[in-house]
This record gives sequence, structure tokens and C-alpha cells, in this order.
Amino acid sequence: MSETVQPSGSTRWRWVIAIAGLAIIGVLLALADIALNAPWLGPMSDVVVGPPVAVSPLKERLPGSDRFERTRSVQTFTFISPFRPRGPISPLQGLRALLSNGAALIFIALAVLVVFPNQARTAVQRLEGSGGPVIAIAAGVATALLVIAALLLLRFTLIFLVLVPVLAAVVVAIALFGIACVALALGRLMQTRLRFGAAHPLVAALAGALLVFDLALIPYAGIVALAVVTIAGLGIVTLTRFGSASGWSFRDLNW
Amino acid sequence: MTKVPADQPGGLACVRARVLIESYVDGDLAATDPDLASRMKLHLAGCEDCRRQHEQAVSLPFRLKALRAPVPPASLLGNVMNAVRPARVESRRAWTLLIPEAALVAFIVWYLSGLEGLASVASGTVSDLQVLLNWGVGAAQPPSIPVADVFLLAALIALAITAAYHLSILSRMGAPSLRERRRA
Repeated sequence: MSETVQPSGSTRWRWVIAIAGLAIIGVLLALADIALNAPWLGPMSDVVVGPPVAVSPLKERLPGSDRFERTRSVQTFTFISPFRPRGPISPLQGLRALLSNGAALIFIALAVLVVFPNQARTAVQRLEGSGGPVIAIAAGVATALLVIAALLLLRFTLIFLVLVPVLAAVVVAIALFGIACVALALGRLMQTRLRFGAAHPLVAALAGALLVFDLALIPYAGIVALAVVTIAGLGIVTLTRFGSASGWSFRDLNW
Repeated sequence: MTKVPADQPGGLACVRARVLIESYVDGDLAATDPDLASRMKLHLAGCEDCRRQHEQAVSLPFRLKALRAPVPPASLLGNVMNAVRPARVESRRAWTLLIPEAALVAFIVWYLSGLEGLASVASGTVSDLQVLLNWGVGAAQPPSIPVADVFLLAALIALAITAAYHLSILSRMGAPSLRERRRA
């Protein structure tokens, strides 16, 4: 890579500390989510951070599953939630949330940036432009409404009904690409605002993805933050036509 | 073929040397005619007047003065105004664009008897897809597609068209021009 930068020693340590700090914050926020067992999040809380109780009651265990139980270490560090006591909670559950959902988010974001670097650059540049985030969120809302309208229209036809899962899959792919772009933009924002210095773009993207994960885990507000990030990602990808350099241009059709 | 004056340094007349000074300083002469460039060098070594002209030509203020101002592109004024336009104005405009969509969504939700109606349409779609999948493998009858209300279809089409049109407007807001993108 010709544009690879060589970070200095102090710069490298700043990034390491920031990434470790974001990871620890993620674990603590996941734990707070579990401890609160936020009813407003509903099943989303369990999806993101896992079951709220560290040790499942004996009656719920499958017969013969004792051989596979590896909960001793989990049971060693348990506490009872002061907010909604439902059972013992372990800090390791927060770590599990980071190593499962957080790691998946980070790997997807980095993979997207590795596979589509030019497209990601175009999208992030647009996001960093004047009024970029607000325009991206507005475009994301318009895109979401367009998709919902299209899905409902397809529902009333037999032939095009099969396109519903295809369209849904495309939207999920676009949203994931958009979240990766937002993660990179957040990483670059940290780089400039906090004066972290030059670093490999994937390091900035890693920090940004961790920040997105942390935002999603804020009790009660996390789901809103994740929705905003997803909508902004959806919008920025739509605005730039999947990060294409030419954008939305009908010049080729006008010959 | 021009006759080379033998009494002039480098075999070049001063009149011709002064014409060639600019291209000699720019390095163009050495690239196009190395022999003439070396003769020019000899001439400058031997002719004091031409050497003074050459020194003047290589001096920075003189060269800056000799530069012509570039012709500004036609889009310069527009680009500058776009760059200095407050982002808040564009942000507000972006949100006001979505007012018709909000009205259409409100109408559709009301028409479908609230969010529960919308959720039942979504769950109906999922169950129809399952039936369609089973029909594909010969395990069930084809799904019966519900009869759509004309008003609902019109509202959905209006929502799709409005959202697509506003997306086209939003895609132009704050976007760099095609020339800027190509340059980038």
C-alpha cells in the first residue's frame, strides 16, 4: 500500500490505549445492560449481550449437559444486580458480549474496508463533507421508507413476492457497508479531534467500530444510537451509489 | 540554413540568444535541442549583456511577474458560495424535504389501523413466503395473495416515488462536482 503511514512510538501507544479503553468501556456497558435488564430494549438486550443470568437453574439444564458445563470460572465472580435482581451476573458475560457481537461487528467492518477500499473512501469523504452526517441520516430515512414501500408493494404480487427476501438481504448488505463507513469516519474523527496522529486506516476503523459497539450498548439509548448509525450508513451508501466515484449520473444513458 | 556568425560567442547572435533565453531557462531548449542549448551556454559565458538578461530571467520576482494569471473556471463562484454556505441551512433543508414522506407514512399507518396493522402485513408476508417455499418443493398449495386496496397501493407508490425523488435531491446536496471527483 503506497499510502501506508509509519506511526511513531507515542502515536502507536495512544491508539493502543484508546482501543483498549473502548474495549473495556464496551464490556462495562454490556454488563450495565445485563444488570439493568432494560425492559425497554426487550429481546434486543438478550440478543446483543446474551442471557441476563450467569448460571441457569438446574431444572433448565439439559440432561447429561453437566459434562460440558464450564461455568465454574463464571460463578467465581458473580454479583446480584442492584436494579433488577433476577439471578447472579458475571462480568465475564460482558466480555462474552464483546467477543461475540463486538468481534463480529469489527470483523465485518474491517472486511468491508479491505474488500471495497475505494468505495469506502468515497462514502467517508462524503460523510466528512459539509453537513454530511445530517444529509446522510435524512437520506437514510428516505431510503428506509422507500424500501418499506417497495417491500409492501411486492407483498401484493405472487411473482415478485420471492424478491422480498432478496431486497431485504440487499438492504442488510448496504447497511453493513454503511456501518463500516461510519466506523471509519468515527475513527478518523477521533484521529483528528483527539490528535492521535497518523495510523493505519484499519486501526482507525477498528477504534471506530468499537465506538459503534459501545454506543449500541448504552442502556436504554443504545438501540436508538445503533439505529441512527445504521440509518446514516444506509443513507451515505445510497447517496454515493455504493461509494462509486461517479455517483448518481445518467450521463451514460444520454447518448 | 542560417549562417552562424563566427565572431559571436557560441556561434549565436545576441538577437537570437535573447529570443531563446526563456526556453533555455525553462529547460525546454535542452530537452528539444541539446546542441543549441550548449551553444547558448557558451554564448552566455562569453557575452556580458546576454548574461545579465539571463540572470534577470532566472530571478524569482521576474519569473513570477512573467507568469500569467490562470483563467478561473466558470464554476468557481458557485463552488465558493457552496463552500461558505452554512451547513445548518442544508441540514434544515434536508429534513424539510421529508415532510411529504412523513405525511404519507402517517396516512398509511392510519389506513392500516396503526402499527399493529403494519406488523400484521409484515407477518403475513413472512408466512406467505414460507407457503411459497413449500409450494416450490411441492409440499403445499400456492399462497393466496391478499387483495390490495387501491388507496393503499396508491399511497405506497406515492411514498416510493416521493422518497426516490427526494433521494435524488439529497444526493446533490453537499456533493462535490464531477470534475472535483475526477480530480480526487
